[in-house]
Amino acid sequence: MIVDHASAAEKFNANPERVTWHDATLWYAREKRDRAAAEVPEWETLRELASAIKEHTLSHLDEYLVMFERAAIANGAIVHWARNADEHNAIVHGILHSAGARRLVKSKSMLTEECHLNPYLEARGIDVVDTDLGERIVQLRREPPSHIVAPAIHLKREDIAETFVEHLGTEPGVHDPLVLVGAARVHLRERFLAAQAGLTGVNFAIAETGGIVVCTNEGNADLGVAVPPIHIASMGIEKLVPGPAELAVFLRLLARSGTGQRATVYTTHVHRPVRGQHFHIVLVDNGRTTQLGRTDFWRSLKCIRCGACMNTCPVYRRSGGHAYGSTVPGPIGSVLTPGIDLQKYAALPFASTLCGSCTAVCPVKIDLDAQLYRWRQVVTKAGHTGRMKRTLASVGGKLLAHPTLLAGAGRVARVVSRIFPQTLTNRFAGAWTKHREAPEPSPQSFRAWYAANRRGKK
Amino acid sequence: MRARDEMLTAVRAAKPAALPRPDLAAVSRFARAENLVAVFAESARLAGASVLLTTRGGVDAFVDSASKPNERRVSMLDVDGVHHDATADDFANTDLFVCEGVIGVAETGAVWLPLSRLRHRAALFLATNVIIVLEQSRIVNNVHDAYAAIDVAEEECGVFVAGPSKTADIEQMLVIGAHGPKALTVLLVEG
Ligand code: SF4
Repeated sequence: MIVDHASAAEKFNANPERVTWHDATLWYAREKRDRAAAEVPEWETLRELASAIKEHTLSHLDEYLVMFERAAIANGAIVHWARNADEHNAIVHGILHSAGARRLVKSKSMLTEECHLNPYLEARGIDVVDTDLGERIVQLRREPPSHIVAPAIHLKREDIAETFVEHLGTEPGVHDPLVLVGAARVHLRERFLAAQAGLTGVNFAIAETGGIVVCTNEGNADLGVAVPPIHIASMGIEKLVPGPAELAVFLRLLARSGTGQRATVYTTHVHRPVRGQHFHIVLVDNGRTTQLGRTDFWRSLKCIRCGACMNTCPVYRRSGGHAYGSTVPGPIGSVLTPGIDLQKYAALPFASTLCGSCTAVCPVKIDLDAQLYRWRQVVTKAGHTGRMKRTLASVGGKLLAHPTLLAGAGRVARVVSRIFPQTLTNRFAGAWTKHREAPEPSPQSFRAWYAANRRGKK
Repeated sequence: MRARDEMLTAVRAAKPAALPRPDLAAVSRFARAENLVAVFAESARLAGASVLLTTRGGVDAFVDSASKPNERRVSMLDVDGVHHDATADDFANTDLFVCEGVIGVAETGAVWLPLSRLRHRAALFLATNVIIVLEQSRIVNNVHDAYAAIDVAEEECGVFVAGPSKTADIEQMLVIGAHGPKALTVLLVEG
């Protein structure tokens, strides 16, 4: 199905109060990020270093993969390679099947969302429990996550309370987050203690030492691998960093950028299986190599999935994560997904104001707005834009190329917007104006103002 | 093996021109906190931990005061505190778990706990209340210094822990005690 961001966002916008809440809540995360970043005098140096480390690693990715594999095997881990989602899912199922494990607890992993692992395993009789609270909530509701750090950010406590009444047997009408979290704690602890295998995502993998690093606040990843005899760690091949010294740079940026914390509560390192346990690492490509080969877009693979670009994005905040129809939403999602399926995700590079706020906060300095702009050219060349956007773009291009035409158009616009009611003019301006009032048209053009006020002045 | 070789070949063909490994010398010139103990305490409290400055001699009394006689307590400070073959179930109904950290990080309020300090990796997560003892002299300035001070690969696993477990997954409201401990105290001892 082709993703129509504007129409999907319209559904989300049906409840204006909720949109306002969503917008404000994510902006609050952005503000916390700003405060956390301002505390660190060397913040910009860290961003530069993080960007350069990732670019170096990606430019030697084959060597680092081999280095990582060798170290991990020496540590006693079992390393698997998966070219795509199907291979990844088959590997995970194979591990579970041959161990006779039917109950899997899973900590947050956007990769397994991307691979649609849950339905694959469920169809084969495996009971999969997502243990991150937000992920458990959306899993019980049979929804995808709407944010990579806060999967249930699109929901209000009343929605969650309803879900818990149905699935966890809480009292109807109890909305207190404290009580709801308490109920989830009891519910999930049973699952942890009964689990036969645990699967985690990977935030960073250390090439030199062959270890993986997982960052969480809840402690669910640790419980999920501490109890059962099998630990499977699924990771995209872009998660590698050279060594522990480089890891430190990213850890200083990740939590501060995502939630404004100085560090996540748990930064867990796994290098070897504990006695009696099997430790599997699955290295997954699934389109990453193709992206690596794109001169204009390979830098998107630097992403450390902090979520900052979503929190700050004016379009994401007001359209919700589900409007993107992709595992990773927001600016980084709109840069990654067209590379996976250009036609399906053709609308996403346009779901942006190109304000550049994402680029300004990205801890690894991905030029997100520039990449979105470049994807627009690719989409347009491939003929996937709607008629409206094409006409507007070509008219806009002509106007900008001819100063006299532009001046005339400005005169027309100022007159039209004074004469016609906004509901009428907005109809021609697309989804962006749905919940917005245009400002009063200025009686004077900028040229006239400039001529009167500034020309010749210093 | 076919998948591995194909992936590596594809990466080799796709990767951008080689870029140098950045020099990390700059990190040694980053700002240093004057009073590491005070900054650690501030960071740990921000992360939701309680922090207490005390002496070695004060540890036992504090631990005793932190649990009622009928509660189940497991302390790694006791010589025979935890049996070597302890299983997760042994820790499942623990009210209080006590252990000693290797280093602390002033910048984040985190303490490094490799497996040997926990005996069982679930210990830290199944107990309701956790006390970590840390020598004040073992606090380092920032995360860079922390990784220079430890060997991450020395043991099977290890964790930096900053505060009790928490979640903000319901309306971004912070709730302490998600899956792991509901309270965490760091006892900063002199010496
Ligand atoms: S693109 Fe940058 S800001 Fe967005 S999630 Fe990735 S690392 Fe964070």
